[in-house]
Amino acid sequence: MIRNTRMKRFSIVSAVVAAGAMVLSIMPAQAADPGVTATEIKLGVSTPLTGSAGLAYGKVPGAMKAYFDYINANGGVYGRKIKLVVRDDKYLPTLAATQTTNLILKDNVFALVGALGTATHSKAYTAASLAAKNVPDLFVNTGFSGFGNIAKYPTTFTVLPSYAMEAKIMSKFIKEKFAGQAVALVAQDDEFGVDGVNGFKAGGLTIASTTLYPTSSITDARAKALLTGLSAIPGKPVVVLFGTTDVTALIFKAAESLDLVSKFTWIAGSVGGDANTLLALGVKSTTIDGAIAASFFPDAKDTSDEYVSQFMKINEKYNKGISFDNIVLQGMNSAMLTVQALRAAGKNLTRTGLINAVQNKGAKFASAGRVPLNYSATSHVGYNGYWFGQLNAKGELKPYGGTLSIFTTDSAAGAVEASTFTRPAMPKNGIPTNS
Amino acid sequence: MKNLKLKKGLTALISAALVATFAVAVPSSANAAEGCSETGFIDGAKFVAFQKCTGADGNGSKYEIRMPEKFNGMMFLYSHGIRNQVLLPKIPVINPDGVYSVPRSAPEVAPGRTAADQEIIAQTLLKQGYALAGAGVQVNGWSVPEAIEANVNLIVYAKDIFPTISKVVSWGDSLGGHISQSLSEQYGIIDAAANLHMAGTAASQYSYANDVLWMYKTLFDPTIKGNGYTQPEYAGDTRGYMELIGDIGKLLTVLGALSAAISANPLAPAWPASATNAPASLKGIPVRSAILLIGLLAGMPTQSNTYDASSGPKGALETSFGLAISPALAVLENTSTALALGVIGNYDAEMRCGGSIFDNSATDYASRLGDNGDIFAAGLSGKTATAGMLAFLNKLNPVAPRVTASASAVACINNQAAYTGKISVPTITVSQTADQITPAGYIQKMKDLYEASISNGDAKPGLLLNIWNKPPDEYTEFDSAGSPKAATGITTGTSHAMYTNDQIMVIAKLLASAGKSGKLPSIAAAKSALKKDPSMFIDPNFKPALMFQDR
Repeated sequence: MIRNTRMKRFSIVSAVVAAGAMVLSIMPAQAADPGVTATEIKLGVSTPLTGSAGLAYGKVPGAMKAYFDYINANGGVYGRKIKLVVRDDKYLPTLAATQTTNLILKDNVFALVGALGTATHSKAYTAASLAAKNVPDLFVNTGFSGFGNIAKYPTTFTVLPSYAMEAKIMSKFIKEKFAGQAVALVAQDDEFGVDGVNGFKAGGLTIASTTLYPTSSITDARAKALLTGLSAIPGKPVVVLFGTTDVTALIFKAAESLDLVSKFTWIAGSVGGDANTLLALGVKSTTIDGAIAASFFPDAKDTSDEYVSQFMKINEKYNKGISFDNIVLQGMNSAMLTVQALRAAGKNLTRTGLINAVQNKGAKFASAGRVPLNYSATSHVGYNGYWFGQLNAKGELKPYGGTLSIFTTDSAAGAVEASTFTRPAMPKNGIPTNS
Repeated sequence: MKNLKLKKGLTALISAALVATFAVAVPSSANAAEGCSETGFIDGAKFVAFQKCTGADGNGSKYEIRMPEKFNGMMFLYSHGIRNQVLLPKIPVINPDGVYSVPRSAPEVAPGRTAADQEIIAQTLLKQGYALAGAGVQVNGWSVPEAIEANVNLIVYAKDIFPTISKVVSWGDSLGGHISQSLSEQYGIIDAAANLHMAGTAASQYSYANDVLWMYKTLFDPTIKGNGYTQPEYAGDTRGYMELIGDIGKLLTVLGALSAAISANPLAPAWPASATNAPASLKGIPVRSAILLIGLLAGMPTQSNTYDASSGPKGALETSFGLAISPALAVLENTSTALALGVIGNYDAEMRCGGSIFDNSATDYASRLGDNGDIFAAGLSGKTATAGMLAFLNKLNPVAPRVTASASAVACINNQAAYTGKISVPTITVSQTADQITPAGYIQKMKDLYEASISNGDAKPGLLLNIWNKPPDEYTEFDSAGSPKAATGITTGTSHAMYTNDQIMVIAKLLASAGKSGKLPSIAAAKSALKKDPSMFIDPNFKPALMFQDR
């Protein structure tokens, strides 16, 4: 053992040296928010471009980019051109976390727009420290009510109505239109489905059969087994499909195979009811003919709608070769909301300013939605209502019963109410000047 | 999914991973001779001379000092990672060649993946004029107090021999990082520190490993002992040791069965036959979901050396594999090493402290799931299945008995020297974001301790720089049939693997700069130093989840 006296002497000397070395490091001065220059605003989106979700939602970023290109060609926002950086997360939470982090740390984007998915974005939000960095997280494509928790997601603004809202409004619709028919619910066994189950409960709907399935677990065989079981329910049961489009397609095709299409009244939720995607996934047009679906948008095939027609023109020029559908409509609409938010944030663009702009002015933004936007300092959830329509063999969604009836509600115990909402007019040439 | 076969098998992965925990690079022989001698090496056409001093302190801890002929005044003091105190017989997979059958006490003077890499790092630093030193502590296992004392002795001794040493910077990896940090906080004899994938506190590390071990035992083989190994009552009493060896065999059997089940049917793998307590309802859930749940409830990364949870075979299965299967396979691969730490390290700690150091009698595992229940809902086979598995792990379930610790043993393990966050010299940490042995949460805990110390007036701000090493965005590879291929090398950002020589030298440069100036390099300067390495990043806002024991 080395002698203690020597150690002690040395320790004292070293302590003096070490104390002298304790110098505060100089931190760099607070820099301006990244991603904004005098000529450019850099935005980012992590979203599925490939994989099964890419088939359904892969058009979203292209549509957003097309709209931004259109705005850029018309002067940009206060002279700044919008650049959208797109990263493919394949709808996988871990990859979404990686890609969102890449957008922040490598691409240095100013804000995120149009991220898609609940599990994906939930993981990404934390992993990329979006709250700590105060990164505006605009118009997220999810209806998970959990994102409405402003304390947890202070910079996030979702665009879709919550799944709980959808289920509550659907409950009212079913009770009024299909009284006496048994109801079977088929939903994902995750936060999406649970939100729905809670909404149906809040909506007071009596459900005869509930099937919850894990994501990615439905196969053709399981779909057939499920429908065979449900076919034992007497009469013409209402089957509510509260899942993603790929599962809706699997179940529809199973019904075709089992010759059970006409056995049920089909109602597809807004997530899984896009006709174009269903047809693309091989569902027969005769199967979707008559199916009921929930929506908060106009039908993308409705060329009489001023938003649809304007977006179609933009799509034709700036998104060449891409067919216009509900997904493209959704992407362009989110892009238009983004432009209004950037305008509302003013020339001296900051992250805090952008967040405040959506909170303070977002409820008045022009949008294609047939239902109100609900943004405020206490609500970061966008649309808050639905209407129900019936698909025809062309995949067009027409108002159920011939009249557009809009209902609004909240994600909790609030009542479902008929809405007299009047949509703001489409800005002239689709270029916002209103915010 | 039927055509998806993990034909490479997970057994090989598990074998490699299980060994990796204790497979730190070890010099081929201990330093037998004491004293100093002139030596050197050829660098191109140049001979680089240095003095090599070896010996042992009064406790028996060996040391080595290398002093270059052209010395710049700074010495790098290196602390190696944990070495097994428990000697093992030759066991297939874990100790096939008997490496861990003999005591290891040789000092190491530099980090590196292999002994050859360590020598490269050492020579590179010697060429730059830095002296090197390291101790081979007389006690292995979790021997932080002994290692700190050995290092203090070594510094004093080195300065006695070489009075021109004006600066000492400390670095270490894994448990050595913990030792380095503790040393730098406690004695005022270190000018700067760099800690590589630093271990957390003993209590937290062993709790993490024991959580995994307990859940494996509870779900997959209730005959595993796991805790409370029989303490020796007389010389040559091997009862506890034999219990340990028995557990190792059972765990290998479980891991092999899980690997085989997933290989045969990745989507719906069956439970191992040894899972005799699990009811049929539980066994209706794919066992991969139980594996994933164990990882999530323990705080284990869901990315591993082979599996990125971010890719799948091209085609229809791409999303399903990445979403539902890959995270579970990653946890399985990671689990192997955590189990090695759990069973072998835990036995060692019990022998050191005289009883069970783990206590989960009040642990609410269900509350640990949090947002991961939503994020990994697909991998967990849905909310209903998750609830069923959590119910089985509930403390009220009589076939899932909890473990109660010995109070004196807990006090003993808690008293092992640990850092406190009272940082007084420039300190750099480097950690993998997907490290399964020392998960990133341990560094977050250190950050929190440091912030608290600043708030309390016990530390000054601006003395901690955290560098992170992340995996590539996607790295799992698949063959033409869509089967995942076992990683053949080290995937950066994962696996508790030592950093590359290039990465180590960047850290050494930053450390030397900090030691010389008494200040951390600026973030901009540090980022510049790391800019050629896409896997390294600095983000003061990055906040990995704390380990459960540290919350």
